[in-house]
Amino acid sequence: MTGPARIAQGLLTDPARPLAFRFDGAQLQGLAGDTLASALLANGRRLVGRSFKYHRPRGIVTAGCEEPCALVDLVDAAGGEPNRLATTLALHEGLVAVSQNRWPSLELDLLAVNDLLGRFLPAGFYYKTFMAPGWAWERVYEPLIRRAAGLGRLEARVTDHAAPAEIVHDHADVLVVGAGSAGLAAAAALGAAGLRVLLADQDVVPGGGTLLDARWSDWREEMCRRISALPAVRALARTTVLGAYGHGVFAALETLTPGERARFGGLRERLRIVRARRVLFACGASERLIAFPGNDVPGVMLAGAALGYLRRYGVAVGLRPAFFLNNDEAYEAVFALAEARVRAAAVIDSRPGAVAARRAQEAGIEVITDAVVTRVLGRRSVRAVRVAARNGSTRCVDADCLLMSGGHSPITSLACQLGARLEWHDGIAAFTADPPLAVGRAAGAARGIYGLAAAALDGATAARALAAELGRTVPPLPAGPVPPSDRDATPVAPLWEVRAPGKAFVDLQNDVTADDVRLACREGYEHVEHMKRFTTCGMATDQGRIGGVAAAAVLAEARGAPLPEVGQVKPRPFAEPVPFAALAGGEVRGHFKPKRRLPLHEWHERAGATFVNTGLWLRPLVYTQAAGWDAVLDEARAVRRSVGITDVSTLGKIDVQGPDAARFLDFVYANTFSTLAVGRARYGIMLREDGLLFDDGTTSRLGPTHFLVTTTTANSAAALEHLEFHQQSVCRNLDVLLTDVCDQWAQFAVAGPHAREVVALVVGDLDLTNAAFPFMAVAEARIAGIAGRLFRISFSGELAYELAVPAGAARTAWEAVLAAGRRYGIRPYGLDALNTLRIEKGHVTTAELNGNTTADDLGFQRMLKKSGDFIGRALATRPGLTAPDRLQLVGVRPVDRAHRLRNGMHLVAPGSPTASLGYVTSSTPSVELEGWVGLALLAGGRQRIGTRLLGTSPIHDESTEVEVVSPHMLDAENTRVRS
Amino acid sequence: MRKTPVSGPESAITLATCPVDIVELAAFRERASDLARLAARRDIVLAGPGATAAHSGRLTLSVRPDRWLLLMPPAAPGASAEHCRQLCEGSAAAVDLSSALAAFLLTGPTVPEMLARACRLDLETRAFPAGRAAATILVQVPAILAQLAAGTLLLTPTTTARHLHEWLVETARPFGLALAPDATVSALCAEAST
Amino acid sequence: MLRIPCPWCGTRDEVEFRYRGDATRSRPAAERALEELTRYVYSRENPLGWHLEWWLHVGGCRRLLKIERHTLSHEIRWVGAPDAMPPAGKAS
Repeated sequence: MTGPARIAQGLLTDPARPLAFRFDGAQLQGLAGDTLASALLANGRRLVGRSFKYHRPRGIVTAGCEEPCALVDLVDAAGGEPNRLATTLALHEGLVAVSQNRWPSLELDLLAVNDLLGRFLPAGFYYKTFMAPGWAWERVYEPLIRRAAGLGRLEARVTDHAAPAEIVHDHADVLVVGAGSAGLAAAAALGAAGLRVLLADQDVVPGGGTLLDARWSDWREEMCRRISALPAVRALARTTVLGAYGHGVFAALETLTPGERARFGGLRERLRIVRARRVLFACGASERLIAFPGNDVPGVMLAGAALGYLRRYGVAVGLRPAFFLNNDEAYEAVFALAEARVRAAAVIDSRPGAVAARRAQEAGIEVITDAVVTRVLGRRSVRAVRVAARNGSTRCVDADCLLMSGGHSPITSLACQLGARLEWHDGIAAFTADPPLAVGRAAGAARGIYGLAAAALDGATAARALAAELGRTVPPLPAGPVPPSDRDATPVAPLWEVRAPGKAFVDLQNDVTADDVRLACREGYEHVEHMKRFTTCGMATDQGRIGGVAAAAVLAEARGAPLPEVGQVKPRPFAEPVPFAALAGGEVRGHFKPKRRLPLHEWHERAGATFVNTGLWLRPLVYTQAAGWDAVLDEARAVRRSVGITDVSTLGKIDVQGPDAARFLDFVYANTFSTLAVGRARYGIMLREDGLLFDDGTTSRLGPTHFLVTTTTANSAAALEHLEFHQQSVCRNLDVLLTDVCDQWAQFAVAGPHAREVVALVVGDLDLTNAAFPFMAVAEARIAGIAGRLFRISFSGELAYELAVPAGAARTAWEAVLAAGRRYGIRPYGLDALNTLRIEKGHVTTAELNGNTTADDLGFQRMLKKSGDFIGRALATRPGLTAPDRLQLVGVRPVDRAHRLRNGMHLVAPGSPTASLGYVTSSTPSVELEGWVGLALLAGGRQRIGTRLLGTSPIHDESTEVEVVSPHMLDAENTRVRS
Repeated sequence: MRKTPVSGPESAITLATCPVDIVELAAFRERASDLARLAARRDIVLAGPGATAAHSGRLTLSVRPDRWLLLMPPAAPGASAEHCRQLCEGSAAAVDLSSALAAFLLTGPTVPEMLARACRLDLETRAFPAGRAAATILVQVPAILAQLAAGTLLLTPTTTARHLHEWLVETARPFGLALAPDATVSALCAEAST
Repeated sequence: MLRIPCPWCGTRDEVEFRYRGDATRSRPAAERALEELTRYVYSRENPLGWHLEWWLHVGGCRRLLKIERHTLSHEIRWVGAPDAMPPAGKAS
């Protein structure tokens, strides 16, 4: 019912809950608890894809995350995705998956011709063949390669996640990676010692290797019971630790259960960022392939995987399996299958004899010792294997699958990411890697201690050591069910490759053969890392986990160097493929950046404003939803002719207090503030230490030791940091305090010829006459009855005041001004009108303070004080920063007043249109002058005032003759602001 | 964006806004002890580093060296700051932040678990017990967290407060969220009931 | 990701800090030779090994920290106030 190969009750599968799914169009059935791979195998489906380069038929090789071949495109409604591992993908009702990298179909793949051409497609083929001509890359080679190579396909329907992912921050005393016998024993002991433990295991249930041995179920259940009784231990299933980043930081990916997924709004994955004082790597070992001709034919699998499919899902991967192995551990699969009445066709053991081999023979299983597999017969599925014994005899063994085991490698990738050195052990023919003790330890199979009982003991021992390092003691633990002791075993005998005609793969996912590795060596790529890059061995999503050591061993032999010296390719994060969506977490789309809203945001919204993003801010651009300049010019005209009000709360505001406040400002500003009288404001410029302009703004003296600094909106955070840095380093002996008060104060500019009358109505008893409150005056004031501040400063070039009130009272003050201005036709104006006004007036913003300009460039040269140190003073005097041919600020106007300007338009001499002399930084239609006006940075600009140039914008296909004018295009004498 | 069923009330999170005046007292060079003495005269206890102190209906938090945030019942704009300025007698700058910082109170046993979706600090009870305060970053914006008997107090700049509030509402929903009535300063100062 | 032990706030993630450059240089007064100031602004050792750096804890206490960090392993072995020096004093 759920597949002919389902021969037993699996530990994880529920026979009462069949699930329907589709693979490559075929309607199939599996069971709840299945992975896609186990369900396919249960249905006798073995061929699941075509290989990357040669398009050879490929099947399922493993039962876990190390799978190199069984990658599928998931295309179901729940959020499809390419390159999902069938071996870890939980089956669900209605799952739809398709195979990858075949054209037109899996059974008939025309590109399999690559396999026949294989001798002409060696490693490095692309580098050498597609060299020239250069144009051919784009038109011929790349489309060709793209069609032939690659894995899954990204298509619109599968790239957009139905639900966002989330990132969770975790903290633990000890992160235990892996919940096998070592991890469970360690977590229980660490938890009993009172330590906070995070036990992360990639499997759907804890247990690791104990899940494959029924004798261990009591012990496992007892450990799980103990752990769940310890509140300080959190056990996370379906959680893979992906990367180790130093400073105790780890990334782990948790796949949510269907129940949790529903609770969290469809969330599929959760990226956990774990900070741990110590780590315990109990992540086990992974089985290795053997490189022999045809080791990629569907039906050739790892022996441990066959054991896993049988125990976990009740699935027999074949009914007449042959085994090819070099170690006793792999015999567990032989015995387990035999117990389930799946009798081995033969066991081919490369060793002359072994304890396990004798046990198998005693059980009536044929074992061919001292022999190897030299060939696999069958193309889309294993039919038989050819066996050669050391004594020279050969024979053929009929089998429907070949279960191989080249020994086991402790999983060291995370430890290596933390700088652990590989160490070779002859006894297990494998590398181990112990992390630095300050970081943590490895235990169990992860450090080469094989056998469940030995690993459990090792885990407990490591836990005691870790607890002691963290100042705790593991109390005597109650005796649990005594775990069975491990069987005696004959050690593994290294066997990496069987040299015989045919392709023997060391990397199944990237189609790298043992011959490719030898070729790399001949070509001079002798270092294991160079070999990797030349052959792409280990560069696929599985990182060559099952064949990495074999590849290194082939290289070692080719070099004539010992394997320990050659070493292994350095593993890098991520240990497993991760969806980008999981890395992005929740900060996507509308949540990508925070939105900063003005205190009056809702008012602006109701007034119909179009908002614009500037940095994080949402600012009113113009008070209409209509496009075009009309509304902008109406707003600006109101300011020029009568009165307008605008929200300037976005300006950075820094409260500066202390006995040394004036001295500090003298140091950080290029001009002097110590001479500023209380109750007055002054425009100031800040330089960077390299002499370039950093920021500008007005600073007011509110008291003898109290100043208020304003900075540009764009630079407000950077300016605060700049001031704090200098206050705490160079100026650390000055007694001055800086406080960010940006959000405290709502600030409005009231500007226009009638500004005084309007403001007078709002501020009550303050005398606003020029004599009492002249240009650049500052005072505490009650604004609509609210304790606030009044500044007579102007950015628009008109008679203007800025009113500041605590942001919580913004609405009262703003509406009071509007009411007072009603008889003058007061209008709120947005950022566009504000720009129009300041451009006409020749005031600069970040468009001109762009990090490349100097005080001299913008005409501020006289503001640099002559005496006293200040930031940027010395380097600002460098000849290159004051050279007369630098880009200097000028105004520009089209000669034909009907023509427009554009920001970014280049200015060129009519005779040499390709040599840019400068560019337009800001432009606007004017309200006071006819046509458009602009500000520009122009080479030797001040000398060119009065001349004509060509303004050109090739991307708009526009050119217009412009006249170069003074940037102060309006009221150059500044009479309006003082009126 | 996320539609989620509400889980049981035993795990529910409540979220309340706290109408408070906030004034920062920043001691001038070597004047911190003067400030503490002057504050004590007005029955204000300045919290120790990274801590909170509640006394006579006012709460102080310390998340920066020689600076204290003083939380008081709301008064007319500027009045609380003026009161503090007089109190300091020149030993410290008293800067009004009542309109600069918004205050939220979160309660419920799953608050640390919910906040771990943005907060990089360890908020587990043993690591961040009642009486602790810290400045950090939440959802890309500055935040000050204080663990009180009444719950977890969160101070954040007003211009990004809506952003953070929306995030809290959305993130707390799977845990079961209830919006609670405003929490007063005296509620924030309340001792844990036994 | 670095975890930086802030003396005031405790150990915090790198995202809370802003790197403010080389702390082995001290600013010469403006009266000094232009050459000396140019060196202060532009010339850097770029060592492989221990390095003194400024980090501003903008996401926490906003204090400026002087930190001795290993440029290869990222190990941080000393954190101090702006006017303090690490005990070894051998950072270059």
